[in-house]
Amino acid sequence: MTIMKQLLDLNMTERIKALRERALASPRYLSLEQARIITRVYRKSPDLPVNLKRARALACALEEMPIAIDPEELIVGNRTPDGRAGVVFPEAGISWLEEEIETLPTRPQDTFEVREQDIHDFRTAILPYWRGKNLEDDIYAQYGAEIKAIEKVVKINQKDHAQGHICPHVASWLRHGPTGLLQQAREKQTQASAEKVEFYQGVCLVLEGAICFIKRYADLADQLAQSGTDEAISGNLRKVADVCRQLAEGPPASFREALQSVWFLFVILHMESNASSFSPGRMDQYLYPYYERDVRDGGLTEQAALELIESIWIKFNQIVYMRNAHSARFFAGFPIGFNVAIGGQTDRGADATNSLSYLFLKAQEHIGLPQPNLSARLHKNSPDDFVDACTRVIGLGSGMPQIFNDESIVPALESQGISHRDAMNYAVVGCVELTTQGNNLGWSDAAMFNLVKALELTLNNGRCMLTGQRMGLETGDLSDYDSYVDLEEAYGRQIQFFVDKMIKVCEWIEAMHQKHLPSPFLSTVVDDCMARGLDVTAGGAVYNLSGIQAIQVANVADSLAVLKQLVYGERRLSREELLAACRNNFQGEETLQQVCLHQAPKYGNDVVWVDELGARWLTFFADQLQRFTNVRGGPYHMGLYTVSAHVPMGKNVAATPDGRLAESPLADGGMSPMYGRDCLGPTAVLRSVARAASHRASNGTLLNMKFLPVFFKTRQGRKQFLALLKAFVRMGIHHVQFNVLRREDLLDAQRNPDAYRGLTVRVAGYTAYFTELAEDLQDEIMARTTFGD
Amino acid sequence: MVRGTIFDIKRFAVHDGPGIRTTVFLKGCPLACHWCHNPEGIEPGIQLWYHESRCIRCGQCVEVCQEKALRADPSGGSFIQINRERCALNSDCVSRCPTHALEWAGREVTVGEVMEEVEKDRLFYEMSGGGVTLSGGEPLQQASFCREILKACKDSGLSTAMETCLFAPRETVDTVIPLVDHFLVDLKLWDGQAHRQCTGEDNTIILENFRYLAERHSHVTVRIPLIKNFTDAPDNIEAIEQFVFSVKSDIPIEKLDYNPLTPSKYRRLGKEFQCS
Repeated sequence: MTIMKQLLDLNMTERIKALRERALASPRYLSLEQARIITRVYRKSPDLPVNLKRARALACALEEMPIAIDPEELIVGNRTPDGRAGVVFPEAGISWLEEEIETLPTRPQDTFEVREQDIHDFRTAILPYWRGKNLEDDIYAQYGAEIKAIEKVVKINQKDHAQGHICPHVASWLRHGPTGLLQQAREKQTQASAEKVEFYQGVCLVLEGAICFIKRYADLADQLAQSGTDEAISGNLRKVADVCRQLAEGPPASFREALQSVWFLFVILHMESNASSFSPGRMDQYLYPYYERDVRDGGLTEQAALELIESIWIKFNQIVYMRNAHSARFFAGFPIGFNVAIGGQTDRGADATNSLSYLFLKAQEHIGLPQPNLSARLHKNSPDDFVDACTRVIGLGSGMPQIFNDESIVPALESQGISHRDAMNYAVVGCVELTTQGNNLGWSDAAMFNLVKALELTLNNGRCMLTGQRMGLETGDLSDYDSYVDLEEAYGRQIQFFVDKMIKVCEWIEAMHQKHLPSPFLSTVVDDCMARGLDVTAGGAVYNLSGIQAIQVANVADSLAVLKQLVYGERRLSREELLAACRNNFQGEETLQQVCLHQAPKYGNDVVWVDELGARWLTFFADQLQRFTNVRGGPYHMGLYTVSAHVPMGKNVAATPDGRLAESPLADGGMSPMYGRDCLGPTAVLRSVARAASHRASNGTLLNMKFLPVFFKTRQGRKQFLALLKAFVRMGIHHVQFNVLRREDLLDAQRNPDAYRGLTVRVAGYTAYFTELAEDLQDEIMARTTFGD
Repeated sequence: MVRGTIFDIKRFAVHDGPGIRTTVFLKGCPLACHWCHNPEGIEPGIQLWYHESRCIRCGQCVEVCQEKALRADPSGGSFIQINRERCALNSDCVSRCPTHALEWAGREVTVGEVMEEVEKDRLFYEMSGGGVTLSGGEPLQQASFCREILKACKDSGLSTAMETCLFAPRETVDTVIPLVDHFLVDLKLWDGQAHRQCTGEDNTIILENFRYLAERHSHVTVRIPLIKNFTDAPDNIEAIEQFVFSVKSDIPIEKLDYNPLTPSKYRRLGKEFQCS
């Protein structure tokens, strides 16, 4: 218990309190500065190859973008002088902004303030140049019709921004620094064949830019130190200058330098690409040698280390990701996804928990903001102290750490051709997506496939029940299927029909990314891009997967259970009356709706045959994906997570046989039961979820559970929660996360948002400020079942 | 196989003994405490239970009842009125009701059926040091059914607990002592007269059984339900504590807060709640 006891005594310093408060208070603005630079570079050199245009634009931004330092900061740097700015990257997508720039301050989800001058410049100087030339326009011009034709069933993602969901090789960045990487690139360039020279040229440009960027912070810190009057503040600024100067010249030597170096890496990655989620991965592992050396030789105290960690924790909240209004509904609350994984195992299977794992939990306890997205890896031999430390922080209610299960994840990754060593070293990107570290372009979130909509089309001869429009395969309608087997056969064909179309579009999208968004800086920190002289978008990574989300197992299982039991089994409902009721949204058929809701068992209640209905279709879907290879040569695999998409995706779906009304949300999370339908407590939920084919969902899964805070108040309660987590590790489920909240508090927060500015909730695989979520999503979160009474 | 009547099986029970448990609630109780938290557990037989909040007032139950024991009353109060004397406990209304507004309080089950249910959470018991708890009602009212469940649990390596008021013949108590790992004993009122008034029975047997049990079993916990104006008086609590201490000094005593859901349970059974 020593580490736990020591942790109890660590405080949040006044400096951190002040920085945290300032981070919360800063308003969010649209930022056009970098867009102006990018536009200038592209205008000036229209004939350069695109990777060099991208490289030059990034290098110029690194040299020219205005920078700022808060004099109290220990860790400095951002991609804009203001925190939380919505940065415009015109080469990725801009048309949406043409329509939405004026409404950014007032839209329902994820608002940004906009300066009048920026609207003017955007319309006169930026938009005219980029119209028709950016990724988004190119995609819509060529494939818009195909994307639209399937959009109610398949939402194709990554159409107007670069792909993220990548865990770079941070350890390599720390080992070599930008100077070491630059030296490698220059050497490679001299030996490279003609077609690879351009790749290395781009890499050299951006690394030179990176070094310049870091130097500029050293210079600014020096300037501020000289002009300041407060000795303590000037002292800190001089230290900042020393740290940055060291990093501009070589790799980090100290723990503080290593943290600063990590932060610069992620700032620059976000300056190259406006992508969702570049993840730091297993920070407690690669930072440990620096920490350990400083504690041993340099007199670094735990309190001082914690202050540094909390500094970067606050920094993680200063980069947000501006999406279009439609997308902001699917990914509400700026989930940028600085995903940090702690604990877990070494590649030889020993427990990897160390002092930093605990300090990170302490930082989470103190800071409690949406970022980083803190993920704890558990395994059968995780120390009770560590699980207990996780439990305490979960009990505080920030929704973190979310829990990952090595025992089920490692074999799932291996099934996709990932080596045992890389699988053991897995980390998490975005919300819950599984990845290897530093050698993987996993293309998570390529598309979301709405299996519930596909079922609706199957029941209605390929026609949308909401609009009557023909969308899918004409397989007949429910009254034509004389047996449950006939229905299943038609459902299978309907899914296959959309999978075929979806894969084609995914291939086009990826090719478009290669064409528009090669990423030379990212390629320096993803193996084997540098060795092979191949950009990461072109397949330079060791692993090249594509992840597709299947949505939503609970509604599929519940609907099929009604059909199987009440329609084809007991014949309590006729096919015609159920079909008519779904088409009419159960209007005038309230009793029939109640029969659907209550007279057939539901997913989440430990009923084997119902759970297996869900598993059967997930397996079918995963099998369908395995028929294809993506353009980078890797497999497609399945994910079971929705982010916040269960609300807008539900809007597309008519009333379903499970008794759900038209346009209402689907089940949340990815693997969660439909809210309010799980009646037997958390153990029954876990047992149901364990049946839902997680082993096929190697892209990641998401399970939400909600507990009352009172459960964590007693030692006995925490012990039982710890046992629940230990059981979870033995059940073959990849992920679970917990909202620990009282409904009354959320209601109060809806009424008095100002009083709850810092209140965070778990939406999907990420945490957001409750008061910054749209009301329908707030309501949905409150409706989820709560345990622990 | 021995059968018994239960009215619920609750998984993830975290207040009924150590660890994560599954609690089996057996029907029938020799006492009738005014404040009983589980009024559906008092009578030994199966009862019809009406959840008005679930009722969508479709009236289908009234149509299918052959005994004409149900009546719809839109005028206020309870929508479905049950004539419990007429009711023959046919299942027509229950199986027709689309929302489970009409439900059985109680069902007859075999030991095998109970075991099938409690086995489901074995992993959680193993991780938490939990197991199976028998509660009620008063489980000792169905002593042989209890013994069979407890034996079956022991045979399959599941830890056992029993929540009891100990109002039972000494011989009955004797038969379960070796089969129960943890006893949770309800002691409500010290004063015999008050006990008789509020529960219908004297507490002499209970206190003697308690002494007898505590001398023979090392895992006994006392629970005092805190009922306003009945059991929560300081002298009552102090007297119980002193008695327990005099029996054995290391017996833990838990005080249980009142369950706020209780009054609605009385309404569902068509009973009046006397302690509001």
